[in-house]
Amino acid sequence: MSIQPPAEDLSTDVVATAAEEVGATKIEGRTPWQLVRMRLRRDKTTMFILVVVLFGLIMGITAPILSRLGVLDPFSGNRELIDVTGGGLPLGRFGGVSWAHPLGVVPGTGQDVLSRLVLGVTYSLGIAVSATLLAIGLGTFVGVVAGYSRGWLDFWLSRLIDLTLTFPQTLMLIALSPIVVRLLTDRFGVPEGDIANGMYVVGVLGLFGWPIFARVIRSQVLSIREREFIEAARSLGANNRRIYAKELLPNLWAPILIYSTLLMPQFISAEAALSYLGVGIKPPTPTLGNVLRDSIQYAESDFIFFFFPALFIAILVLSLNLLGDGLRDALDPKADR
Amino acid sequence: MNRTKASSVIALSAVAVLGLSACGGGTTGNNNGDTGATGGAATAGGDLLYLTKRPAEHLDPQRMYIGRDIFTTGRTVYRSLFQFPAGEKDATKAQTPIPDIATEVPTSSDGKTWTVTLKEGVKWQDGKDVVCEDFKYGVSRAFAYDVLDGGPFQYPTQYLDIPKDKDGSPAYKGPYSKKGQALFDKAVTCKGNEITYKFNKPWGDFPLAVAGLRVFDPYREDQDKGAKNNFVIFSNGPYKLDGTWTKGKGGKFVRNDQYDPKTDEGTRQANPDTITFEEGVDESIITDRIVAGAGNDANAITDRVVRPPSYSKVEPLKDQTTLVDSPYVFYLVPNMSRVKDVNVRKALATATDNEGWVGALGGDKAAVAATSIINPSLPGFQENPIFSKIPAAGDPAAAKKILTDAGVKMPYPIKLTYQGGDPTLDKAMGVIKEGWDKAGFKTSLDPLTETYYDIVNKPNNDSDVFQGGWGSDYPSAATVIPLLFDSRQLSASQVGNNYGQYKNKAVDQAIDKAALITDPIKAGEAYSAIDKTISEDYGYIPNYIQRFYFIRGKNVTGYEQTEATSMFADLGTVGVK
Amino acid sequence: MYAYVIRRLFSGLVMLIVMSFATFLMFFNGAVDPVRYTCGKACGVPGVLERNRAMLGYDDPVPVQYAKFVKGVFVGRDFPDDPALRKSAPETIARCDAPCLGYSPKENSTVTSMLAERAPISASLAVAAFIMWIAFGVGGGIVAALYKGRWPDKLIVGTALIFYAFPTFFIGLFLYKFVAIKWELTPQPVYTAFTEDPVAWAMGLFLPGLTLALFYIAGYIRLTRSYVIEAASEDYLRTAKAKGLDKRTILWKHTMRSALTPLITLAALDFAGLLGGAIITETVFNYQGLGKLAVDAATTWDLPVTVGIVLTLSTIVILANIIVDVLYAVIDPRVKLA
Repeated sequence: MSIQPPAEDLSTDVVATAAEEVGATKIEGRTPWQLVRMRLRRDKTTMFILVVVLFGLIMGITAPILSRLGVLDPFSGNRELIDVTGGGLPLGRFGGVSWAHPLGVVPGTGQDVLSRLVLGVTYSLGIAVSATLLAIGLGTFVGVVAGYSRGWLDFWLSRLIDLTLTFPQTLMLIALSPIVVRLLTDRFGVPEGDIANGMYVVGVLGLFGWPIFARVIRSQVLSIREREFIEAARSLGANNRRIYAKELLPNLWAPILIYSTLLMPQFISAEAALSYLGVGIKPPTPTLGNVLRDSIQYAESDFIFFFFPALFIAILVLSLNLLGDGLRDALDPKADR
Repeated sequence: MNRTKASSVIALSAVAVLGLSACGGGTTGNNNGDTGATGGAATAGGDLLYLTKRPAEHLDPQRMYIGRDIFTTGRTVYRSLFQFPAGEKDATKAQTPIPDIATEVPTSSDGKTWTVTLKEGVKWQDGKDVVCEDFKYGVSRAFAYDVLDGGPFQYPTQYLDIPKDKDGSPAYKGPYSKKGQALFDKAVTCKGNEITYKFNKPWGDFPLAVAGLRVFDPYREDQDKGAKNNFVIFSNGPYKLDGTWTKGKGGKFVRNDQYDPKTDEGTRQANPDTITFEEGVDESIITDRIVAGAGNDANAITDRVVRPPSYSKVEPLKDQTTLVDSPYVFYLVPNMSRVKDVNVRKALATATDNEGWVGALGGDKAAVAATSIINPSLPGFQENPIFSKIPAAGDPAAAKKILTDAGVKMPYPIKLTYQGGDPTLDKAMGVIKEGWDKAGFKTSLDPLTETYYDIVNKPNNDSDVFQGGWGSDYPSAATVIPLLFDSRQLSASQVGNNYGQYKNKAVDQAIDKAALITDPIKAGEAYSAIDKTISEDYGYIPNYIQRFYFIRGKNVTGYEQTEATSMFADLGTVGVK
Repeated sequence: MYAYVIRRLFSGLVMLIVMSFATFLMFFNGAVDPVRYTCGKACGVPGVLERNRAMLGYDDPVPVQYAKFVKGVFVGRDFPDDPALRKSAPETIARCDAPCLGYSPKENSTVTSMLAERAPISASLAVAAFIMWIAFGVGGGIVAALYKGRWPDKLIVGTALIFYAFPTFFIGLFLYKFVAIKWELTPQPVYTAFTEDPVAWAMGLFLPGLTLALFYIAGYIRLTRSYVIEAASEDYLRTAKAKGLDKRTILWKHTMRSALTPLITLAALDFAGLLGGAIITETVFNYQGLGKLAVDAATTWDLPVTVGIVLTLSTIVILANIIVDVLYAVIDPRVKLA
């Protein structure tokens, strides 16, 4: 199956209406931002989700600092906390839960589960954010160029989009991994290990993740460029670059924002799935996928360890998805959900 | 010798250990269930289920090099000149070859010429007799190792008295190209039902190699389709393959009506009516299915150990589990071309935390710490004086002192390359890293998948330490030390089995001398002496001996795990209720 | 109409050519010696690399290799590719009949035959998943739309989102370990051929199919829900209501038809994508389908198989797109034939 879920319900006209709405609000004398913020503030669920997501982000940003300071210790083993004769299961109840180790310890090594998960958020979010930036950047660029230029360039870029969509993404990620990682390290001097593997995952997720978004942007641009304010700018003698930068891009931020929020959870799930298949950043580096891959073995013998890594991923994915929905509602009140 | 071979690479895998039997009392230390014939006396009939995760790579006898496959097929579909006795509890006897298709196990006065007489009445599954020419053709296939890769072809190609080409490869190129056929025809001759092998140097272990490997098995020339026959079984044993074998899924053995038990020594009881092999099942699922015991799963056996997360689950089923030492020793090899300072290697060995490693692997049901690369069960084994002095948990402080005294700049970077894919092993490697880092190293772990084989075989790779696992090919340290540490297998493009690129002329010479010793105990002592020399160079770091903690279905009877079948379940004795 | 079909077919053909050539460039760009990816650990055996290179023709330039491959697809070809090797080692000759997608020296088998062997398994899984996700996804979406804003709506959408948030392999393993083995609520998820035992076939497919379906259900519930709500607010329905048509007729004859038509396209494309195998589900349940074959080939370095699968899957997607476009044009006359 493809790692990405089926095309999201962001049909082009929905986005178009979002932009239209934004345009229409100008009459009321409020900036679109003000309006969106107002709507968001009224949506309590989304505000709550936003807090969760921000909390996750802060967690991700501070984890490396905290682990350098020694507050989090994701790597040190605690042999005295595991039962060496019983398959290395944590001693004590509930997977070795204690004040020192609020989510217990890893069977076999006695590493602190919470530390590994918190640092895992850093890695997984890092991968997801980078891949999203790459995909959105590429998608915006191709979409804007195709939509604005029309003609042969548009034709070929659209074919490029079609072409990229035909490749089986998950399979390509696995199949190209040995070749491309070797290429990165041997030809481009990228340091081996986490950096090369991480770059590979980000690169391939991004390179296969942009086309659907490029399509959205393209049709968005197609509809905007026919509108009066572009006409006006053109008749006033604005050159193409000015039109791109000043007139087009500001009208694309709604789909960009929505899509970024919806792509990120896909990439977080993708990282986990790839870890399961043995591609990407390798253990003992604790990406959420790596921790989960170990923990799923313990479904029956250590439920705490089994459950929490999956829960971390689920919360991240769920809250980002809901945030994306909330943003869509705020940007596009006509869309009904 | 020019031994650049797949055996090396197979052996490297922690998950995919190869190797065969090991001599001596490997069955000790059983604290869970008993060691005897278990499940009660076996009777004929029923359907046996063999669950496994790892698919068989080859079922072609000349291409097999995995202990499990060698013995499961040996007890069911492939017969050879000699075999090991089934269900034999005495470890020495279990590893002493007895006749199979041969009338007796011969002796050779000079160790170079071996003549074996074949029994009458042994038939292939199509009713034709197994004749001398079939044996001759079988071993000739080992010379076509570029087409039929994977097997332990180094034994026939090195020992059979055939001249070598300039590049060190035998002048005979196998039965397909027939280049140098006359040379082969001189080295292996048939006279009626007598086959004679001529070797270029004494090889007292020949009967062991025949019984412990499949490379000397007979093969029918008219059935040979080269590499296309990889999963084709043309049987001369009590079972035959029903339909076809699908890699990753398995196959089904049914009774072979051409098999005459009167020609057998009674080792193959062939109790079940059918044996179904189901490949690709995850270890935890295998355990769960056997514990649940629904339907045919109650008749199941497996070659996969119970994984640590399932220990508590199988604990109540003591009479369905066994725990034995396996023949496999795991170890780390420093890359001698990069880690040149012996003090650094010594510090690595001193800081290695084997106790924590064993704990991460699952504790004493999964492994025991090792102090030598030679399995203590092999004949003539002697305690390794260097590594047995290091505490099992390692001594990072002492290691740090060694580094400091040697004036090594710290942190000293170490790249540890191993075959990944198993989360448990990943955790264990994390323990090694922790110990090393405490001693002043900066360890980066480099788990590779299949690329491992590619990387490790390149002499100029940039890894500092590799992980390996090894079990002897047949019960003799002669299939351990020379295969792993003889520097003459190194070339500009290949490292062979010697992936640490260990070079020591004294060791090479001692290996040549030890090869000439015919008494197994004395030979074993000589290899232990070489082991000591290598240890003084810290040419490797021993880690642990893997243990087999197996579970079987509640209806399984006559269940045996002995040295005769490398501690895997013996399909010669097993039955189902 | 015919002109449209022909034009669509032609652009599909161009797409196929570009896609296959791009695939060749990706794997045979010369940055890394591709022969090293054809033999796994056997690459260490002397002679194997050279043999495979000559056997597969990897010593040719990429365009020549590509041309030979294309020719093989239409008329078949013989391996080894190198005539000298064919002569010196006739026992290794393997005939690869059209459509020849390559040869795997590692498995001693043509890629086409390997794919043909695995295809029924992936197809079965795709059918099982498709049935479930349409039943639960579209059904759930309709219910949610009818109860918009009330508890059944929230329950359905919420549950779907929660399932969607957990990784597929986690859900699959959970179902396998608990539902099938521990609680014995379903039969063992083992694949049995349909021709062998249709009941066992269906039983074995339940859990893997469900796992796979759960991945799609969330998306389909939301899509269906929003389409139905949107369709229900269209003007002509108000007209119909005003005309006095009864509620049920309006719902089923008008709303659903216009709401579900776009779903057909999407479902058809998703289904086509699944025909190529579900990598994670097949790995979790040890189903030897195309997805498992692909992941095994990719992780054990069986490059000819990997390339063959990538090409096949991409071709399926391209073909499915053409079929859907054409069908859509037939069904919905409003579609511009451009």
